[in-house]
Amino acid sequence: MASQVSAGYDGRAIVHGIDVEANPGRVVSIVGPNGSGKSTLLKSLVGVVPILGGAVSVGGTDITNLPPEKIATMGVGYVPQVDDVFPPLTVKENLEIGGYLLARHQVHERIGAVLEFFPRLKRMMTRKAGKLSGGERKMLAMGRVLMLSPSVLVLDEPTANLAPLVATQLLEEYIRGFADAGSTVLLVEQRAKAALRISDWTLVLGGGRVVLSGRPDDLADNPVFVESFLGGGAHL
Amino acid sequence: MSVFLSSLGFGIISAAVLAIATVGFTMQFAVTNVLNLAYGSVMINSAFVTYFLNIHGHLNAWVALIGGVATGSVASYLLNRFIYTPFQRRNLAPITIVIVALGVDLCGTFGLQAIVGGSYFSYRQSLGREWHFLGMYFSTLQLTIIAIALGVMLAVAWLLRYTRLGKAMRATSANPNLARNSGVRTQWVISTTWLISGALAGLAGTVFAMNTGVFEATSAQLYIVLLLAAMFLGGPGEPYGAMLGAATIGIATELSAAFINPQYKMVIAFLILLGMLTFRPYGLFGSERTA
Repeated sequence: MASQVSAGYDGRAIVHGIDVEANPGRVVSIVGPNGSGKSTLLKSLVGVVPILGGAVSVGGTDITNLPPEKIATMGVGYVPQVDDVFPPLTVKENLEIGGYLLARHQVHERIGAVLEFFPRLKRMMTRKAGKLSGGERKMLAMGRVLMLSPSVLVLDEPTANLAPLVATQLLEEYIRGFADAGSTVLLVEQRAKAALRISDWTLVLGGGRVVLSGRPDDLADNPVFVESFLGGGAHL
Repeated sequence: MSVFLSSLGFGIISAAVLAIATVGFTMQFAVTNVLNLAYGSVMINSAFVTYFLNIHGHLNAWVALIGGVATGSVASYLLNRFIYTPFQRRNLAPITIVIVALGVDLCGTFGLQAIVGGSYFSYRQSLGREWHFLGMYFSTLQLTIIAIALGVMLAVAWLLRYTRLGKAMRATSANPNLARNSGVRTQWVISTTWLISGALAGLAGTVFAMNTGVFEATSAQLYIVLLLAAMFLGGPGEPYGAMLGAATIGIATELSAAFINPQYKMVIAFLILLGMLTFRPYGLFGSERTA
């Protein structure tokens, strides 16, 4: 999917030569300390930050440096870490914007499907998104991208600011569920242990480069990784 | 009492004209993030196109108004395309765009004056019969302007709430990056917003000139004070707030003209603007995010 990608702002690379391969049905997680370039990498994949070198493709189609609205048409759904909903719009309107590229009758069908996935949203369809709790808001953000039935889901710290129980439910029930349903999930996550539990492959970023990568079980056996990210507890 | 009621009548008409203008002005600001201080200049230039078609093209003033609306729409689109967007792309401080807009306003207004001169103009148009309601007097022309304003308010509310374009406009206003990630072509939405809000400027300019009876190239130069007061009263970037703000400012300024001094109309509007900026900068309808 991403080959030797370098990306950054104003012509200065923040991430350097990164390879990411993600296949349908798999969760690839990206972990690393603050400032390691995790969010910049994701933003470059979805067209928000310019790619300065390398290439990105989805299903064999080159999407390098395409505008975000074009990348959305290619089945890539992106949930940013912050500002992930439209606060003045109602829950229903947020979902409708998520389905902006669909025909009108398809929008109603997809809203029904998304509400089956997130039944809690049913009761709050007329509520403004800005009035939702953190967990409800994140469900709406996920629901918004699911409107287009994306083949690739790019999620930037979806559990940030969520209570531990809600975060665990989001990761293990919903995000792992997306992959099990056939989507490719690319996940940046601060809770390394929780991320590894649902991942098929993990990249560890440091200073804008991949410093480690591998299957979660293998990383859990790596003393450097355990020391840095799992707080000394190797059990996933 | 009769002075109060007749002033209230004037206030309702002023509010109607101001509401059309403010809704376009605030929509422009909300979606495009440009405080277009040249709005008054677009209004008066559009009013003069209507005048040209009415007097020299021998068209009925209501038919000629279509030309004024089209002028406002196209002029605003071009203004954004060739002046504001190039400046925005350079990521300059917001104050730069305000200064550019001020320059455009001066060029538009005094450029027009250089062409038409300093004379007064009026449309060839009948005021129609006079109607009496609850001690207030309205001409048929004034009632038509009020009806147009109500129609515009309903149309804008319908556009924003029920149409795909309107929801895309609100999404672009709230979070342009997220809108793009959702597949919304925000540049197209912004261009369309300039066309629609410009059309409202053209309409407002023409009905403003119709309502005042006589007008000149600089007639709308201070109108920006009323626009800003109405916008900040309702909440910057809040079209529904703009409607309420326009009604309040329109009526308050006409009542102050009757009971204090007509010279102080703009001062009253400016005081309301200062009061809102001091105590509630996000307006009656806005949230702190919009301030």
